[in-house]
Amino acid sequence: MMRLLRFTGFTLLEYLRSGRVAIEIIAVMATYFVFLRRPMDAEYFFSVAGIFTPVLTLYTMAAFIGLGDRPQGYVLLSRGVGRATFLLGIFLAACTIVAGAYGLLCLITAVLNRPSDLDLLGWLLGTLPLLLNIGLLAALMLMLSPLVFPTSWRLVVLGLIAMAFSSNFIGGTLLQALPETLRSLLRALQALLGGPLVPAFYGFQLAITRDYSTPTAYANLLAQASLLVSLLGLALYAFSRRDLIFSSQ
Amino acid sequence: MTDVIEITELHKNYGELQVLQGLSLRVAAGEVYGLLGPNGVGKSTLIHLMLGFLRPSRGRLRIFGDTNLERVLPRVGYIPERQRYHTRYTPREYLRFLGSFSGLAGAELHERVERELATVGLHDAAERNLGTFSKGMLQRLGVAQALLTDPDLLLIDEPTSGLDPAGQREVIELLAAVRDRGHTVFLCTHYLHEVELLCDRVGVLAGGRITTEAQVADLRDVAGSVRVQVGALSLEQRRHVEALGVGVRADAQSVRINPNTPALQAAVLRALLDAGVTILALEPLESPLERLYLQAISGKLAVAEPTVLPPAAWAAPFKGAPAAATSSADAHPGEGDTLLNELLGRTDDQEAGRRRQDAE
Repeated sequence: MMRLLRFTGFTLLEYLRSGRVAIEIIAVMATYFVFLRRPMDAEYFFSVAGIFTPVLTLYTMAAFIGLGDRPQGYVLLSRGVGRATFLLGIFLAACTIVAGAYGLLCLITAVLNRPSDLDLLGWLLGTLPLLLNIGLLAALMLMLSPLVFPTSWRLVVLGLIAMAFSSNFIGGTLLQALPETLRSLLRALQALLGGPLVPAFYGFQLAITRDYSTPTAYANLLAQASLLVSLLGLALYAFSRRDLIFSSQ
Repeated sequence: MTDVIEITELHKNYGELQVLQGLSLRVAAGEVYGLLGPNGVGKSTLIHLMLGFLRPSRGRLRIFGDTNLERVLPRVGYIPERQRYHTRYTPREYLRFLGSFSGLAGAELHERVERELATVGLHDAAERNLGTFSKGMLQRLGVAQALLTDPDLLLIDEPTSGLDPAGQREVIELLAAVRDRGHTVFLCTHYLHEVELLCDRVGVLAGGRITTEAQVADLRDVAGSVRVQVGALSLEQRRHVEALGVGVRADAQSVRINPNTPALQAAVLRALLDAGVTILALEPLESPLERLYLQAISGKLAVAEPTVLPPAAWAAPFKGAPAAATSSADAHPGEGDTLLNELLGRTDDQEAGRRRQDAE
């Protein structure tokens, strides 16, 4: 555990010293000045934050994956940073930066333009599913990175994700035009593959409503956490099994 | 002696590309083993297999008698080929991080970091950013990080690749000092002089396996051909020297002896000294190690099992060698990435073969 924390610190320090964190800070400022300066309620704030954090996660995680996928990693791995520590350290460092950026956005908002209907408890209730979504997306990106999966497997997983979202572009008349068997198969696949996406979407909704009056809300948090652990577990397993060939830069 | 490295019939494929094909090798404790081979032949792949970065396609690989390489990694130090380190840190910070990853802490970590900084001569630069370091300094840092845990086995991959002559000399002198600590060392290189200076035993990797092995001490024989550079030779002096043997050819500034023997070389030198000629340098034109290497990579020594040859076997004049495989590497120091070359299946001897065909 200490090794993991040290390696996360090492990765974070390198990222901070590289100056790339300026992008996150600029993104926070821009988001505040463009979207959050107007009079607003908590629902609006979490709607904006719920879009801001995944977009920032895409950028930050990609940057950290780039940091990890370098030949410099060979020395670290030969010096006792195991494969699991290496991958988890990258994940934790990226999540720390995104969570930090979200925290900064919240702080600026709280100081300059606090939504009148948002207290500390409400903020915590809205923040929890958002942070889990950050972790979910970061874990998915890590799993789909060249570090973890070879290209063929990445294409397969991306294909499955596309299939899960296919109801958005294969529907209506196009769906009706398909043969019945194919239509049934497609619907079944969409339902099956779309299942893992439900916790993420419901988590976004939960952040906005902060309605924890039903057991579904708690079940969703559990589902988000379980999905996060599963994705990370899959990434760690694949990373532990594969030949380690970092990109040559 | 116990074998630190035991490799039996090791195969490694990258898809269809077969890099290692039944490689077998043993390195005893305390031995300094040099693995020679052209770029792209599989040297870096072999080291990455020993470190557990790559998985063998087939065969057995044991380090310290253990097939679980992650378990033995704390006893191994690794100096990578290219000087690729995290440049946002000072050497002191970087070594402290690496030491802490290896389980060192507190006063022991501090003491080891300072000791290795002093060993590699980076104490005065310990607070400078690594981004400002020359390649030679970065490679010295590489040596320091490898020594940090006082490993029993050092794996060194092309230590002078990409360095200028001064940097190469620095690193070789440093490694010569390090070898005296008594570590078992496995050194991959395509520079013959590194093997001559640093190693006890040498193997040549060609065609995915070790085709030849020899004790370096046995190779410290008189060079097969030499050139004696002199201040000036008169016509009469040249004739006198050439009369000493059929293999002696002289011009105004040098005398070539090919084939060379200890007796003939001594006779020529004595004659030159007796005539009051200033001797500027005695240069081997083809050392026994070079002959061994060239024969091995051209397939002339390719046999089913590694062969240890007596020095006499290398004395025969060599014909048809590739156009100086070593010099092609020297001409482009550090060019390309070795592991990448291995992935792409590019080797120096393939390249040399293509050039030969073009020339013909």
